[in-house]
Amino acid sequence: MSEDPMDRILDAARETYHAPGRTPKEAMWEVIQRGTEAAPGDDVIDLTAVRNARPVRRYRSYAWAAAAAAALVLGIGIGRMTTRVGGDSSLANAADGVPTSLRFAAAEHFGRTESLLTMVRADARQGRIDPMTSTWARGLLVQTRLLIDYGSGAEPAMQELLEDLELVLVQIVGLAGSGSMEGDRTRMELELAVRGVEERELLPRLQAAGRPLGFSGA
Amino acid sequence: MQLIERASKGDQQAFRALYDANVDRIYRLAYRMAGEEDLAKDFTQETFLRVYQRLDQFRGDAAFSTWLHSIAVSVALNGLRKVDRHRKRERSLEDAAHVIPGNSPVEPGLRDRIEDAVNQLPDIYKTVFLMHDLEGYTHGEIAETLGVAEGTSKARLSRARAKLREKLGDAMQEYV
Repeated sequence: MSEDPMDRILDAARETYHAPGRTPKEAMWEVIQRGTEAAPGDDVIDLTAVRNARPVRRYRSYAWAAAAAAALVLGIGIGRMTTRVGGDSSLANAADGVPTSLRFAAAEHFGRTESLLTMVRADARQGRIDPMTSTWARGLLVQTRLLIDYGSGAEPAMQELLEDLELVLVQIVGLAGSGSMEGDRTRMELELAVRGVEERELLPRLQAAGRPLGFSGA
Repeated sequence: MQLIERASKGDQQAFRALYDANVDRIYRLAYRMAGEEDLAKDFTQETFLRVYQRLDQFRGDAAFSTWLHSIAVSVALNGLRKVDRHRKRERSLEDAAHVIPGNSPVEPGLRDRIEDAVNQLPDIYKTVFLMHDLEGYTHGEIAETLGVAEGTSKARLSRARAKLREKLGDAMQEYV
């Protein structure tokens, strides 16, 4: 019985990859305690707004998850029909690793995500965020994850873009879901989310990818 | 739940008890993700501060630990985005020696290749890999923490391992 090389990799990784030492418990507690004592209530989100919005948001999140999955399936279906009816061999051949139907669904998804990010960026300039953004972003997040799981990995550029989007959307869902833009910390998080969009050049990448052949045609 | 209620009303002892019960796992995970003590400390502190500020929002639908871990992963991923991606590659050998235990029986060459291979994993795969294979979280815990289905967690781990196997396969044959 020879040892599985993967077991050896895992053993070595456990031992060497960013292996944590002893937890600096007291040193961290001092900082945390100072933070909790500094200004209770500061930077805390508007809990009343969160509580009021909770049942609605919960219902809508399920609805959006279902809608996102349905939209993706529909997008793939349309992609298949378009390819078949149009008979455009360049389209069919364009997708080296990702099926053309998935590429169509992704292109549509990128268009919608671009709209959301554009709106969030505009809102951020005014120091606010639309309460409906969370619901919208949640649907797009579900769809992004579906696209990742559906095999966008065959196209590294698409995979990378989807993973970048996932991070930003998670941030926006959490941020917009907090229900209020009160507090320096929340404002800072919004700025960070927007900075993430800009540093990763998400909008130009989405615009380029918003065409069915955005990746392979580049 | 009692501890959480007390902590949400400003009881520092209750919050300290919650901290004591969870800090080791959170710090270990933060360190695995960050690879640097200062960053791991920052992420852990930020996580507990956010939790303290949002204790009122904790409804008990999920375990407190799951909620805490979701915040920790989010803080770490967002924090790492702010860190220059290339900084770790430029880290000096002295720093690397500080991070890795000196008595490690793992060959330095293999160690470096593992570091490179894991660093190259996309975040969504790496997080699952670190949590499951290096820190021993179950797929159920990971799924709840990341807000994905358990099957997604398993699929991501499988992809992470496949990528590692692909990158390290040759090296492993040399060392086994």
